Amino acid sequence: MSPNPMPPEAEIEALVGHEFPGGEYTIAHWENFLLTNCTGAEPLPGGQVHPVALFHVPILGANTSIAEMFALGQAESDFSIGIESYDWEMYQPLIEDKPYTITARITEADRRTNDKGFPFDRIQFQFDLADEAGEKAAKVVVTWHYRRTV
Amino acid sequence: MKVEVGDQIPEWVMERVQIERMRTMAAILRDPNPVHWDVTSELPQRFGGRTINQGPLGLSYMINMLHEWTGPTSVRHINVRFPKAVLMNDHITARGQVTGVREEGGETLVDLDMWLEREPGDKPLVGEATVVLPR
Repeated sequence: MSPNPMPPEAEIEALVGHEFPGGEYTIAHWENFLLTNCTGAEPLPGGQVHPVALFHVPILGANTSIAEMFALGQAESDFSIGIESYDWEMYQPLIEDKPYTITARITEADRRTNDKGFPFDRIQFQFDLADEAGEKAAKVVVTWHYRRTV
Repeated sequence: MKVEVGDQIPEWVMERVQIERMRTMAAILRDPNPVHWDVTSELPQRFGGRTINQGPLGLSYMINMLHEWTGPTSVRHINVRFPKAVLMNDHITARGQVTGVREEGGETLVDLDMWLEREPGDKPLVGEATVVLPR
Protein backbone atom coordinates (compact mmCIF):
# COMPACT_ATOMS: atom_id res chain seq x y z
CA MET A 1 0.00 0.00 0.00
CA SER A 2 1.40 3.43 -0.94
CA PRO A 3 1.49 5.97 1.87
CA ASN A 4 -1.59 8.22 1.87
CA PRO A 5 -1.56 11.82 3.17
CA MET A 6 -3.86 12.73 6.06
CA PRO A 7 -7.36 13.20 4.59
CA PRO A 8 -9.50 16.24 5.43
CA GLU A 9 -11.42 15.70 8.68
CA ALA A 10 -14.72 16.32 6.84
CA GLU A 11 -14.06 13.32 4.58
CA ILE A 12 -13.69 11.07 7.62
CA GLU A 13 -16.80 12.43 9.33
CA ALA A 14 -18.78 11.95 6.09
CA LEU A 15 -18.24 8.20 6.40
CA VAL A 16 -20.91 7.97 9.12
CA GLY A 17 -23.94 6.26 7.64
CA HIS A 18 -21.98 4.53 4.88
CA GLU A 19 -23.81 1.27 4.13
CA PHE A 20 -22.03 -1.82 2.85
CA PRO A 21 -23.84 -3.90 0.20
CA GLY A 22 -24.69 -6.65 2.69
CA GLY A 23 -25.36 -10.25 1.74
CA GLU A 24 -25.22 -13.80 2.96
CA TYR A 25 -22.49 -16.09 4.28
CA THR A 26 -22.46 -19.83 4.95
CA ILE A 27 -19.59 -21.26 6.99
CA ALA A 28 -18.42 -24.56 5.51
CA HIS A 29 -17.16 -27.41 7.71
CA TRP A 30 -13.63 -27.19 6.29
CA GLU A 31 -13.48 -23.46 7.00
CA ASN A 32 -14.67 -23.89 10.59
CA PHE A 33 -12.26 -26.80 11.12
CA LEU A 34 -9.24 -24.77 10.00
CA LEU A 35 -10.42 -21.67 11.84
CA THR A 36 -10.89 -23.57 15.10
CA ASN A 37 -7.48 -25.19 14.72
CA CYS A 38 -5.93 -21.72 14.40
CA THR A 39 -7.30 -20.90 17.86
CA GLY A 40 -5.68 -23.97 19.43
CA ALA A 41 -9.05 -25.51 20.34
CA GLU A 42 -10.64 -28.80 19.34
CA PRO A 43 -13.71 -28.69 17.04
CA LEU A 44 -16.88 -27.74 18.91
CA PRO A 45 -19.78 -30.22 19.13
CA GLY A 46 -22.89 -30.23 16.94
CA GLY A 47 -21.38 -28.35 14.02
CA GLN A 48 -21.01 -25.22 16.14
CA VAL A 49 -18.81 -22.59 14.57
CA HIS A 50 -16.04 -21.18 16.74
CA PRO A 51 -17.12 -17.65 17.75
CA VAL A 52 -13.87 -16.24 16.37
CA ALA A 53 -15.70 -16.45 13.02
CA LEU A 54 -17.50 -13.31 14.15
CA PHE A 55 -14.55 -11.35 12.83
CA HIS A 56 -14.42 -12.44 9.18
CA VAL A 57 -17.95 -13.75 8.54
CA PRO A 58 -19.58 -10.32 9.02
CA ILE A 59 -16.97 -8.57 6.89
CA LEU A 60 -17.05 -11.00 3.98
CA GLY A 61 -20.80 -11.59 4.29
CA ALA A 62 -21.44 -7.85 4.06
CA ASN A 63 -19.58 -7.95 0.74
CA THR A 64 -16.68 -5.88 1.91
CA SER A 65 -13.12 -6.75 2.93
CA ILE A 66 -10.42 -5.77 5.38
CA ALA A 67 -8.62 -4.07 2.48
CA GLU A 68 -11.73 -2.04 1.59
CA MET A 69 -12.23 -1.03 5.23
CA PHE A 70 -8.61 0.18 5.32
CA ALA A 71 -9.16 2.09 2.06
CA LEU A 72 -12.43 3.71 3.18
CA GLY A 73 -10.60 5.32 6.08
CA GLN A 74 -7.72 6.26 3.74
CA ALA A 75 -5.21 4.31 5.82
CA GLU A 76 -1.67 5.60 5.44
CA SER A 77 -0.27 2.09 5.21
CA ASP A 78 -0.85 -1.51 6.30
CA PHE A 79 0.97 -0.62 9.53
CA SER A 80 -1.11 2.41 10.41
CA ILE A 81 -4.22 0.60 11.70
CA GLY A 82 -4.68 -0.02 15.41
CA ILE A 83 -7.54 -1.93 17.03
CA GLU A 84 -9.45 -0.08 19.72
CA SER A 85 -11.94 -2.85 20.46
CA TYR A 86 -14.09 -5.69 19.22
CA ASP A 87 -17.51 -5.92 20.84
CA TRP A 88 -19.55 -9.04 20.07
CA GLU A 89 -23.10 -9.79 21.22
CA MET A 90 -23.92 -13.45 20.60
CA TYR A 91 -27.65 -14.23 20.55
CA GLN A 92 -27.26 -17.82 19.33
CA PRO A 93 -24.35 -20.06 18.29
CA LEU A 94 -23.44 -20.00 14.59
CA ILE A 95 -23.79 -23.41 12.93
CA GLU A 96 -21.86 -24.85 9.97
CA ASP A 97 -23.61 -24.97 6.59
CA LYS A 98 -26.40 -22.58 7.62
CA PRO A 99 -26.75 -19.27 5.75
CA TYR A 100 -26.60 -16.02 7.70
CA THR A 101 -27.70 -12.63 6.40
CA ILE A 102 -25.44 -9.69 7.17
CA THR A 103 -26.11 -5.96 7.09
CA ALA A 104 -23.37 -3.44 7.87
CA ARG A 105 -22.69 0.24 8.15
CA ILE A 106 -20.29 2.81 9.60
CA THR A 107 -21.76 4.19 12.82
CA GLU A 108 -19.04 6.55 14.07
CA ALA A 109 -16.11 8.37 12.44
CA ASP A 110 -14.16 11.27 13.86
CA ARG A 111 -10.65 12.67 14.35
CA ARG A 112 -8.99 12.46 17.74
CA THR A 113 -5.58 12.92 19.33
CA ASN A 114 -3.80 10.25 21.34
CA ASP A 115 -2.08 10.79 24.69
CA LYS A 116 1.20 11.56 22.89
CA GLY A 117 -0.42 14.31 20.82
CA PHE A 118 -0.58 12.38 17.53
CA PRO A 119 -3.79 12.50 15.45
CA PHE A 120 -5.79 9.44 14.48
CA ASP A 121 -9.18 8.83 12.93
CA ARG A 122 -11.51 6.57 14.92
CA ILE A 123 -13.92 4.62 12.74
CA GLN A 124 -16.58 2.25 14.05
CA PHE A 125 -18.27 -0.42 11.92
CA GLN A 126 -21.40 -2.31 12.96
CA PHE A 127 -22.45 -5.66 11.51
CA ASP A 128 -25.76 -7.42 12.26
CA LEU A 129 -26.21 -11.12 11.57
CA ALA A 130 -29.55 -12.92 11.27
CA ASP A 131 -30.37 -16.58 10.70
CA GLU A 132 -32.59 -18.11 7.99
CA ALA A 133 -35.72 -17.34 10.04
CA GLY A 134 -34.71 -13.70 10.40
CA GLU A 135 -33.83 -14.10 14.09
CA LYS A 136 -30.87 -12.09 15.38
CA ALA A 137 -27.71 -14.20 15.55
CA ALA A 138 -25.06 -11.66 16.52
CA LYS A 139 -24.11 -7.99 16.62
CA VAL A 140 -20.48 -7.15 15.94
CA VAL A 141 -18.91 -3.74 16.48
CA VAL A 142 -15.38 -3.17 15.18
CA THR A 143 -13.56 0.01 16.20
CA TRP A 144 -10.28 0.81 14.51
CA HIS A 145 -7.81 3.69 14.75
CA TYR A 146 -6.29 5.04 11.52
CA ARG A 147 -3.05 6.60 12.75
CA ARG A 148 -1.94 9.75 10.90
CA THR A 149 1.51 11.13 10.31
CA VAL A 150 1.86 14.88 10.71
CA MET B 1 -21.97 -24.88 39.39
CA LYS B 2 -21.49 -22.25 42.10
CA VAL B 3 -19.76 -18.99 41.22
CA GLU B 4 -18.98 -15.96 43.37
CA VAL B 5 -17.58 -12.51 42.74
CA GLY B 6 -13.81 -12.66 42.93
CA ASP B 7 -13.53 -16.25 41.69
CA GLN B 8 -10.64 -16.89 39.31
CA ILE B 9 -11.50 -18.62 36.05
CA PRO B 10 -9.32 -21.64 35.19
CA GLU B 11 -6.57 -20.38 32.88
CA TRP B 12 -6.13 -21.42 29.24
CA VAL B 13 -2.63 -21.60 27.78
CA MET B 14 -1.34 -21.12 24.23
CA GLU B 15 2.11 -22.65 24.59
CA ARG B 16 3.54 -20.92 21.52
CA VAL B 17 1.89 -18.54 19.07
CA GLN B 18 2.74 -20.10 15.70
CA ILE B 19 3.26 -18.29 12.41
CA GLU B 20 1.70 -21.25 10.58
CA ARG B 21 -1.61 -20.56 12.31
CA MET B 22 -1.37 -16.83 11.48
CA ARG B 23 -0.82 -17.73 7.83
CA THR B 24 -3.86 -20.03 7.74
CA MET B 25 -5.88 -17.35 9.52
CA ALA B 26 -4.78 -14.70 7.01
CA ALA B 27 -6.03 -16.90 4.17
CA ILE B 28 -9.39 -17.52 5.88
CA LEU B 29 -9.78 -13.81 6.65
CA ARG B 30 -8.62 -12.81 3.15
CA ASP B 31 -6.34 -10.41 5.02
CA PRO B 32 -3.58 -9.14 2.73
CA ASN B 33 -1.65 -7.41 5.51
CA PRO B 34 1.87 -8.96 5.53
CA VAL B 35 2.46 -8.11 9.19
CA HIS B 36 0.70 -11.42 9.97
CA TRP B 37 2.55 -13.74 7.57
CA ASP B 38 5.79 -12.26 6.22
CA VAL B 39 8.70 -12.05 8.68
CA THR B 40 10.61 -9.83 6.24
CA SER B 41 7.94 -7.11 6.11
CA GLU B 42 8.56 -3.78 7.83
CA LEU B 43 6.69 -4.11 11.10
CA PRO B 44 7.78 -7.67 11.98
CA GLN B 45 11.37 -6.54 11.37
CA ARG B 46 10.91 -3.95 14.14
CA PHE B 47 9.97 -6.86 16.44
CA GLY B 48 13.05 -8.93 15.62
CA GLY B 49 11.49 -10.78 12.70
CA ARG B 50 8.37 -11.86 14.59
CA THR B 51 5.01 -11.54 12.86
CA ILE B 52 2.02 -10.04 14.67
CA ASN B 53 -0.81 -12.32 15.74
CA GLN B 54 -4.23 -11.37 14.35
CA GLY B 55 -6.36 -9.59 16.95
CA PRO B 56 -9.21 -12.12 16.63
CA LEU B 57 -6.80 -14.98 17.35
CA GLY B 58 -5.74 -13.46 20.66
CA LEU B 59 -9.40 -12.90 21.44
CA SER B 60 -10.10 -16.56 20.63
CA TYR B 61 -7.78 -17.69 23.45
CA MET B 62 -10.11 -15.89 25.87
CA ILE B 63 -13.14 -17.58 24.27
CA ASN B 64 -11.42 -20.98 24.59
CA MET B 65 -10.91 -20.30 28.30
CA LEU B 66 -14.61 -19.47 28.68
CA HIS B 67 -15.72 -22.53 26.69
CA GLU B 68 -13.67 -24.84 28.90
CA TRP B 69 -15.14 -23.21 32.00
CA THR B 70 -18.88 -22.89 31.22
CA GLY B 71 -19.38 -24.76 27.93
CA PRO B 72 -19.30 -24.07 24.18
CA THR B 73 -22.62 -22.21 23.96
CA SER B 74 -22.22 -20.15 27.13
CA VAL B 75 -20.67 -16.92 25.84
CA ARG B 76 -23.19 -14.09 25.37
CA HIS B 77 -21.04 -10.97 25.12
CA ILE B 78 -17.40 -10.00 24.86
CA ASN B 79 -15.64 -6.67 24.60
CA VAL B 80 -11.90 -6.82 24.02
CA ARG B 81 -9.26 -4.10 23.69
CA PHE B 82 -5.76 -4.43 22.34
CA PRO B 83 -3.17 -2.30 24.17
CA LYS B 84 -0.21 -4.37 22.90
CA ALA B 85 0.59 -6.80 20.10
CA VAL B 86 0.81 -10.57 20.58
CA LEU B 87 3.82 -11.78 18.62
CA MET B 88 4.97 -14.96 16.95
CA ASN B 89 6.50 -17.41 19.49
CA ASP B 90 4.88 -15.69 22.48
CA HIS B 91 3.73 -17.92 25.34
CA ILE B 92 0.28 -16.63 26.27
CA THR B 93 -2.06 -17.39 29.16
CA ALA B 94 -5.74 -16.38 29.17
CA ARG B 95 -7.05 -15.50 32.63
CA GLY B 96 -10.23 -14.09 34.12
CA GLN B 97 -11.99 -13.09 37.31
CA VAL B 98 -15.70 -12.94 38.13
CA THR B 99 -17.03 -9.41 38.73
CA GLY B 100 -20.77 -10.08 39.00
CA VAL B 101 -23.44 -12.76 39.18
CA ARG B 102 -27.09 -12.01 38.29
CA GLU B 103 -30.35 -13.71 37.39
CA GLU B 104 -32.00 -12.63 34.14
CA GLY B 105 -34.74 -14.31 32.11
CA GLY B 106 -34.46 -17.49 34.13
CA GLU B 107 -30.72 -17.76 33.52
CA THR B 108 -27.72 -17.15 35.74
CA LEU B 109 -25.40 -14.69 34.02
CA VAL B 110 -21.82 -14.16 35.10
CA ASP B 111 -19.91 -10.96 34.29
CA LEU B 112 -16.14 -11.13 34.31
CA ASP B 113 -12.90 -9.36 33.52
CA MET B 114 -10.51 -11.27 31.30
CA TRP B 115 -7.07 -10.73 29.86
CA LEU B 116 -4.12 -12.31 28.10
CA GLU B 117 -0.85 -12.42 29.98
CA ARG B 118 2.58 -12.78 28.40
CA GLU B 119 4.37 -12.55 31.71
CA PRO B 120 3.24 -11.19 35.07
CA GLY B 121 1.91 -7.65 34.57
CA ASP B 122 2.22 -7.73 30.77
CA LYS B 123 -1.34 -7.85 29.39
CA PRO B 124 -1.53 -7.42 25.61
CA LEU B 125 -5.33 -7.95 25.51
CA VAL B 126 -7.89 -6.97 28.14
CA GLY B 127 -11.66 -7.13 28.17
CA GLU B 128 -14.93 -8.14 29.72
CA ALA B 129 -17.41 -10.93 29.03
CA THR B 130 -20.78 -12.25 30.06
CA VAL B 131 -21.47 -15.98 30.13
CA VAL B 132 -24.50 -18.02 31.11
CA LEU B 133 -23.89 -20.69 33.74
CA PRO B 134 -24.79 -24.28 32.87
CA ARG B 135 -27.66 -25.70 34.94
